Amino acid sequence: MAAESPSSARKVVVHLRATGDAPILKQAKFKIAGSDKFAKVIDFLRRQLHRDTLFVYVNSAFSPNPDELVSDLYSNFGFDGKLVVNYACSMAWG
Amino acid sequence: MGTEGQKYVWEGAIPLQIHLDESEITTLPPPPPALILGPRLGYLPLLVSLIKPYFSSTLPPGTDTVWFDYKGLPLKWYIPTGVLFDILCLEPERPWNLTVHFRTYPADLLSPCESEDTVKWNFINSLKEAAYIINGNCKNVMNMSQPDQLELWRSFMNGHMEGNLRISSKLKLGTVGEESATKKATAHHQQSSSETKPDRIPVRLYVRSIDKDVHDLEDAPPVDSWDKISYINRPVEIHMDDGKIFTLRDAIKTLLPEFFEDEPSIDEELSRIELQDGDKALETDLCDQDSEIVSTVRSRELTDTLDECTPSSCCSSSGKTEVKLVRIQGIEPKLDIPFTWVVKNLSNPEHFLHICVCVVVAQGQDKMR
Repeated sequence: MAAESPSSARKVVVHLRATGDAPILKQAKFKIAGSDKFAKVIDFLRRQLHRDTLFVYVNSAFSPNPDELVSDLYSNFGFDGKLVVNYACSMAWG
Repeated sequence: MGTEGQKYVWEGAIPLQIHLDESEITTLPPPPPALILGPRLGYLPLLVSLIKPYFSSTLPPGTDTVWFDYKGLPLKWYIPTGVLFDILCLEPERPWNLTVHFRTYPADLLSPCESEDTVKWNFINSLKEAAYIINGNCKNVMNMSQPDQLELWRSFMNGHMEGNLRISSKLKLGTVGEESATKKATAHHQQSSSETKPDRIPVRLYVRSIDKDVHDLEDAPPVDSWDKISYINRPVEIHMDDGKIFTLRDAIKTLLPEFFEDEPSIDEELSRIELQDGDKALETDLCDQDSEIVSTVRSRELTDTLDECTPSSCCSSSGKTEVKLVRIQGIEPKLDIPFTWVVKNLSNPEHFLHICVCVVVAQGQDKMR
């Protein structure tokens, strides 16, 4: 029953997937510290794509709060050893 | 339809005294503060239409980008008002004095909130997240009809519990009926019930660290940065092993194992007892003995650690961190009440249970992460 407490220290593999007409990144898989916030993923995508408005989702379903820890997102919504993050230039899943 | 507890939660509101930031006052005399009730379950931006008439005549030219602060801390708009109050005002301040700003949005500290639609979008996203945790997918929320989604939001905005629960029940997110909990609890001779998949409860946890030297919570210095509060999203799995009630204390222990590192884990302790007990059982052939002994052990052990903390017991010489306060919807529930009760009565309408926790940290030790 002990939750994996120091999991935030681990690195998480984030798989970035373009949705709709969003440009595809050359490198789609990244490692990010679990103790980082989701905001870091969003910022990274904004910088890569040179866009201020971007819609970022997990598992083609919902947009987590930028303050959520990557480690929490991974343990809640990750599978096959990675966290799937979709990005779109317009709202994809309201 | 709702429980008595839910009704109290839906009616809960915090008296707010809202001041306009000095830099935005362009008239003399300055406008008096606005006094309004902020629903506990609501979000601060939803109050803007009520607040604006008080101040609109004095604002400098420009476009509105509204945000709030408490003692200089910009308030995160996506945290329910009641949760902000519970975690930031350890000693409840009534009315709660907030400052409103209509200009110079601190975009580096707060995520943008353009309109009511942003708040609604955030609400629906949280709901999807919760659904995913409970069911492993959020199809029911994504397939909700447009009128249903609108009705869900409207009833939430207007504080109509019945309407909200009616739509919400269609989403099949009610994981823990009290019924099933008691059924599981009483049927502790039937092994089969404990084999089922445990219920997963979506929890948002806010952990505020207080220095060990602060003996009284009311003396705690105000939070000056969000870095001082850990925001944790970990689901709680409700275990019903050997028919014992899974309490709020058990849930906190699962969520924050960091604070229980110093003791032997329950499993270790249990196996030791079971070993000793095995001999006895052979001699006396009392098949119930195991579970009885186990339960006394568990409760004793936990009372030692998470007892109603008096300052002296909390700031023990060992210098380890300890849980000092657990607050949900403005109340400090007894830690041995069943967690299913807490979830059923004190969850927010987006199906997350928001728990505020205050921990005492020994000096020199940094915050928990």
